[in-house]
Amino acid sequence: MRSSLDRMMVVLSKEIIDNLRDKRSFLTSLITTLVTPALLLGLVVVMGKTIFKNVDESELILPVVGAENAPGLIKYLEQNGVVIEPGPDNPQEVIKNGDEDVIIVIPEGYGEDFSASRPAAVQIVMDTSRTSAMRTISKVESLVNSYGTMIGTLRLYARGVNPMILQAVAVEQIDVATPESQAMMFLNMLPFMLTIIIFSGGSYVIIDTTAGERERTSLEPLLINPANRWELVLGKYLAAIPFVTLALAVTLSAFAIGFNLIRVEEFLGVQISISWKTISSIFLICLPVVLFATGLQMIVATATRSFKEAQTYVSLISFLPALPGAFLAFLPSESELWKMMVPSYGQQLLIDQIMRGEGLAQNDIFISAIVTVVAALVLLLIAVHLYKREQIIFGTK
Amino acid sequence: MISVSNLHKTFGKVTALKGVSFNAPDGCITGLLGPNGAGKTTTLRIIYTILHPDKGTASVDGFDTVKDQLKVRKCIGALPDSHGLYPRLTARENIRYFGRLHGLRGEALEKGIDNLIRLLDMQEIAERRTEGFSSGERVKVAIARALVHNPKNVLLDEPTVGLDVMSTRAMRTFIERLREEGKCVLFSSHIMQEVSALCDYVVIISNGEVAASGTPDTLREKTGQENLEDAFVAAIGSEEGLVR
Repeated sequence: MRSSLDRMMVVLSKEIIDNLRDKRSFLTSLITTLVTPALLLGLVVVMGKTIFKNVDESELILPVVGAENAPGLIKYLEQNGVVIEPGPDNPQEVIKNGDEDVIIVIPEGYGEDFSASRPAAVQIVMDTSRTSAMRTISKVESLVNSYGTMIGTLRLYARGVNPMILQAVAVEQIDVATPESQAMMFLNMLPFMLTIIIFSGGSYVIIDTTAGERERTSLEPLLINPANRWELVLGKYLAAIPFVTLALAVTLSAFAIGFNLIRVEEFLGVQISISWKTISSIFLICLPVVLFATGLQMIVATATRSFKEAQTYVSLISFLPALPGAFLAFLPSESELWKMMVPSYGQQLLIDQIMRGEGLAQNDIFISAIVTVVAALVLLLIAVHLYKREQIIFGTK
Repeated sequence: MISVSNLHKTFGKVTALKGVSFNAPDGCITGLLGPNGAGKTTTLRIIYTILHPDKGTASVDGFDTVKDQLKVRKCIGALPDSHGLYPRLTARENIRYFGRLHGLRGEALEKGIDNLIRLLDMQEIAERRTEGFSSGERVKVAIARALVHNPKNVLLDEPTVGLDVMSTRAMRTFIERLREEGKCVLFSSHIMQEVSALCDYVVIISNGEVAASGTPDTLREKTGQENLEDAFVAAIGSEEGLVR
């Protein structure tokens, strides 16, 4: 047993030194790793600036075509702080080009319909695909609607009818979303991105030590040494772990530093605090996934026929386990026992809960960790089995 | 001492070996001679425990290559057909890696490496990373790495392929030196000159079977031919795969 451990350590230290010397891959991987937190920060800053820009503070300038057709409406708008200016001849073009956020067109028949108590058409020209115009659009919409409601109510009163009979259902919106939880939508991409990092941060090492070893035809000489196959597999597996863990740690640290350096509240209007305690909990929750991801990639890289094929498949499987995380950002999911038993999905849920500021159940953390570690062990056994097959040396042919 | 008895091996539909038997005694150079695809590499792979025979047995110093794999690997040094190096490690580090896998450590290991570096005349390249080494230099590192634990039995699969004249000569001298040290040397080749110049005992393999075996002299007598090349052709019945 002692000599087995010795040989495993020999393989482990050789692979670490060997791969640390591959400076280009090492640096590329670290830089790619840093892209993730940078992207998240960038999203928060840019999106925050456009969506959360407070339009109420600036005055609303509204181009109106045919303003003379509806003096009542125009007056109502002006009373509500809207500055009316004459609209262009080609309102749709102008909106398409993004020169204005929204334009109102009042057709000539407006006055006639209005007097005859028929619904008088008012056109609001807008482009809903422009997020930055959404605030202005909804403000103009609600102003026009409220004018319509007001006139309608007056008409009913004039006819001696209680306008309340029109309101069969009273809708009251109770929005419990704190500004913080709105902003969290971006941060909830974190489980997705972390999973990608875990499944790709050490890929180059895993591929180099398995498919790479075979491609440079050094596998056969290695197998002739008096070492059991499981010692070689475990040595290579353990050599990849520090690289993956480093990628994870770098991402999380950059994330924490970024959110503490940049004053996010300036962009989102809310304070987001990501403490080092939160970051270390996330790190610990991710560790079992590191074991699982490394095992999975090792099997894929060993089973493929060439280095290139290994790269293709390994990057493919880095994406698959991360997908549920992408949905979590928009569709929060309840934590249930079976979900905790899915390696990497359970952890993504837990991180999601941490980011939402919800408390974690000790049980969930424990179960997801145990199941994931057991799954990693099973993957390792499969990898050892692959190495025991005779075909292992024929891979490239 | 290597003994091989009635080895059979098939890969899918291809039958690689159908009953190969021979002995390679200590202090002798035994040559496996045969055209490409005759089964030389498969035979060697079975002896160095990477493949398992479908039928028959192979043993090294009395250890069975299937049942006592680790013991066999401890007492052999093998240069396989494919012998890639680690390009980011120096020549010395490549050799050291295998030495450490054999359980060697410290001064004993470093002395052994120094000795091989001197014997194979590779002092100049020892501390260089192996990326960009010539094929001669690469074979030297691969041999040093295979022999770092000073094994009693040495298996070499086509050790001179791709080498220039000087490197080939150096390789032959080295192989002869191994015999002087009393080792059992088994090497495969399809180059006639090499086999006739070096071997004490020749096993001619063709189509997965032993076509003839014996000392170069007995082979010539048996086949009634003047030189070994003609003896070879007579034994396998064709000139296929013959390299002069």
